[in-house]
Amino acid sequence: MIDILNVNKNYSTKSADITAVDDVSLKIESGEIFGIIGYSGAGKSTLIRLLNGLEEPTSGDIIIGEDTINKLSKKDLRQKRQKVSMIFQHFNLLWSRTVEENISFPLEIAGVGKKERRRRTQELIELVGLTGREKNYPSELSGGQKQRVGIARALSNEPAVLLCDEATSALDPETTDEVLDLLQEIREEMNLTIVLITHEMHVIRKICDRAAVMQDGRVVETGKVLQLFQNPVHSVTKRFVRDDINDEETALALDEVRELFPHSKILKIGFVGTKSKTPVVSRVIKQFDLDMNILSGNIKQTNNESYGHLYVAIDVDDATLEKVIDTLGNEDITVEVEK
Amino acid sequence: MNELIQAFTEMFSFENVQWDVVWEATVDTIYMTGIATAFTLVIGLVLGIILFLSDKSDNTLSQPVYGVTAFLVNLFRAIPFIILIILLIPFTKAIMGTIMGVQGALPALIIGASPFYARLVEIGLKEIDKGVIEAAQSMGAGTWTIIWKVLIPESMPALISGITVTAIMLVGSTAIAGVIGAGGLGNLAYMVGFTRNQSDVTLVATIVILIIVFIIQFAGDYLAKAVDKR
Repeated sequence: MIDILNVNKNYSTKSADITAVDDVSLKIESGEIFGIIGYSGAGKSTLIRLLNGLEEPTSGDIIIGEDTINKLSKKDLRQKRQKVSMIFQHFNLLWSRTVEENISFPLEIAGVGKKERRRRTQELIELVGLTGREKNYPSELSGGQKQRVGIARALSNEPAVLLCDEATSALDPETTDEVLDLLQEIREEMNLTIVLITHEMHVIRKICDRAAVMQDGRVVETGKVLQLFQNPVHSVTKRFVRDDINDEETALALDEVRELFPHSKILKIGFVGTKSKTPVVSRVIKQFDLDMNILSGNIKQTNNESYGHLYVAIDVDDATLEKVIDTLGNEDITVEVEK
Repeated sequence: MNELIQAFTEMFSFENVQWDVVWEATVDTIYMTGIATAFTLVIGLVLGIILFLSDKSDNTLSQPVYGVTAFLVNLFRAIPFIILIILLIPFTKAIMGTIMGVQGALPALIIGASPFYARLVEIGLKEIDKGVIEAAQSMGAGTWTIIWKVLIPESMPALISGITVTAIMLVGSTAIAGVIGAGGLGNLAYMVGFTRNQSDVTLVATIVILIIVFIIQFAGDYLAKAVDKR
């Protein structure tokens, strides 16, 4: 669906030459929700703007569907943008237009007739749950409602691709989840391909199928979301994952636990996917007649699977411990001895 | 002291005031201000949009466009109005056929006010959230669509308060033009009030001008507020 091929983007300012995007290649499948995560200045904002031609690459190609975005004429690019739409961190609604006028704006640009505009606008207002708000101005809406207008507006020309530029970063956690749910809903309903950039791992975990991690203009890691969480390789990815599950807090508690249970072995048991729903741990306890103290645990939900880990303290001899690790290992559960 | 009282008595006596002449002068002032404001609105808007679009654009053509427009705007804004009228006499004669009366005043009024309004338009446009313009581009809007559907509506309150300030400035300019031969209330105050030493006529001309200015200010404020949905 989307092919980003060896793309570079350089800027020159008075003081320095900046490489915002550095030899990035990505392939995004049709119907996928693909996340790009990075700290500010990582180049993700520039990268997403290359996808709809708001920025031109210095070198490399961006192919969406049949078209090479950076080789389209101005007129063809404008046409293409109707099918590759975008939502924004600060919504970017026109304050001078009501909700329905904002949503019908892209239809006006596309030259859709008045009657059809009204019909489609009404449909979209229902889809995003803003019925009754048609005549309101953006200033009368909450942040979440504004983003719903943004989403409806982006969908009005029935795009194939939706680009989300930090779409939930200005929203509170609860509203963020509502908007993410809405995105997931419309992906299924309209068979959309969604590319989103964010600095919140939570967003990636909640709705993305795959994600790329960016640092200093480069993609340092790409993979299925579950895989990134379970087995982060690059240090930036690890930091994002750790921030999301608050590992630091756990580590802090572990120090205290070591003092409390000086003779116990402390294990970190990691679960991934469907196994985290079967009662493996209790089975092991029964089988080996173990005494186990649960110290802390964490289960996180991704868009289709769960993953997590459990810290436990057990009193066992080394031989039994090995058997326990083997048994759990057979169930695809990882065990790390923390001591 | 007695002289002062006498001067005041004469000023407020209104015995020299010919009301039909005052009315005629009022109509002339309103006419000059109205026509000049209408032309200034269009020319200033066009110049302001050119300034806004050509500034800091990466298009190589736009840099000279910005340079030339900004130079002309600054030049005509710097010339004092009374000198501009005199300077423009040959031009005025060529296009209006006369340098006298209401017709003779219009070119100088419009050329004097348009650059001023152009700068106000530019300032108003710069206040538009860049993200909104980017959003319109991301929907596939071309430059014309952006001008008509984003730039003008999104800066409407600033455009209205700008033209209000400009119209009030134009009322003042018509009075200056009146001194050197255009009609209107300035002409009345000078030709009758000053040269014939009839201070009551000057006072009436002043009051009428104040009323016109207040009405423009009130209407402008009201409109600017009515269109502002932020």
